[in-house]
Amino acid sequence: MNIRALILAAAGLFIAFMLEHLPMPDLLLWLQPAWVLMVVTLLVMFAPQTAGLWIAFPLGLMLDVEQSTLLGTHILTLAIHIFLLQVLYRRMVMFNFLQQTGVVFLLVAVQQLLVYWAGALVSETMGPVPLWGPALTSALVWPWVYGLTHIIMVRLHLT
Amino acid sequence: MSPFQRQRVLGIVVLALVLMWLDSRVTWLEPVRYITGFVLAPAQQTAMIPGAIGNWYSESSTTRQELLAENKQLKARTLVLETRSQRLAALEAENIELRELLSASEQVDDRVLVTSVIAVDPDPFTQQILINKGGEDGVFIGQPVLDAYGLLGQVIDVAPYTSRVLMIADSNHAIPVQVNRNGVRAIAVGTGALDELELIYVPNTADIIKGDLLVSSGLGGRYPRGYPVATVSSVENIPGKSFAQVTAEPSARLDRSRHLLLVFSQGAAKVPATEIWKEH
Repeated sequence: MNIRALILAAAGLFIAFMLEHLPMPDLLLWLQPAWVLMVVTLLVMFAPQTAGLWIAFPLGLMLDVEQSTLLGTHILTLAIHIFLLQVLYRRMVMFNFLQQTGVVFLLVAVQQLLVYWAGALVSETMGPVPLWGPALTSALVWPWVYGLTHIIMVRLHLT
Repeated sequence: MSPFQRQRVLGIVVLALVLMWLDSRVTWLEPVRYITGFVLAPAQQTAMIPGAIGNWYSESSTTRQELLAENKQLKARTLVLETRSQRLAALEAENIELRELLSASEQVDDRVLVTSVIAVDPDPFTQQILINKGGEDGVFIGQPVLDAYGLLGQVIDVAPYTSRVLMIADSNHAIPVQVNRNGVRAIAVGTGALDELELIYVPNTADIIKGDLLVSSGLGGRYPRGYPVATVSSVENIPGKSFAQVTAEPSARLDRSRHLLLVFSQGAAKVPATEIWKEH
């Protein structure tokens, strides 16, 4: 992973966290795409050698602070997410947009479900977690994110 | 994928669960959260930029005319609010006073009627007030009037919807009292000053000391007995004079109370309005 790729990854994560924090009306809050999860997906897809399980720790911690969940919640979900991606990513690169969209939909839904399960397992007081909203919007946004990343990577001669 | 990837994922999951459990039980992890917040801060600040730009734009694009108009409106609004807050203070005081009256009426067994002061007689030589209850409310001449702290005076004139009250501090007013401590009787006469009553015909040897509470004795047949009237503020024995000079401070807040109680007491003598002047 060269320096340009590193900067791109850092920029991507920065934008993802920025979008996570974007103030949203209450209704749209349930539809907020899982931006960080998508960037993690891209990282694992395009740099499987560098972006391994370890990135679950810093990014998970940051997501926990961002969403004020129990510390560790997103470390857990991201670790499982990355593991699933490591199983899937070779196929995923070959998939067309529609198939990719379906996979992202399922992955985000699984992540939200894991957030809920982990929270319910550890603490008695677990509020509701939006499940289908983020999955749906993430799936809808995914082709554009993927396409944009691909274009930028081609421009930067990273592929 | 390395050979022990599944085990690693399992390890991370267990670790994360332990971390969550710790975070939900203890507070050690607060610093971690705090420091991570610093890392997140730039992204979060950036997310706020569009909103900030929007605010800045709407602020800077306001015209001078609009600003002036807004300024004027705000000033007017401040005035309205200030007036309201003044009324609020008055309402608060009124509320406290009413509460105190309520507890006072719990202490007395007599039937009472709450009334408000609507005017004060401006004549400096009389101490009279006008209240907003009159003959239609059952007010009668000679009716005792209390405030939250003690006896205030008696009704001397009844109109259908208002009444005139002679306060105990009026120089034409006298009320039979007794010292609450030992029952020594005396007559408290108004001096014309709101904060001073005088006890007349008190022997030099009478057991009255400063601080004694004077209560109405009920002997005159007009006031019910047992209501606080005044507190002795000074006792002076002047050699060569037959009577001690005793002054007392009225318990009732003659110059401040806005809400008063009219007492319909068993002991209070009821003098029909038509007969009150026949004595003269």
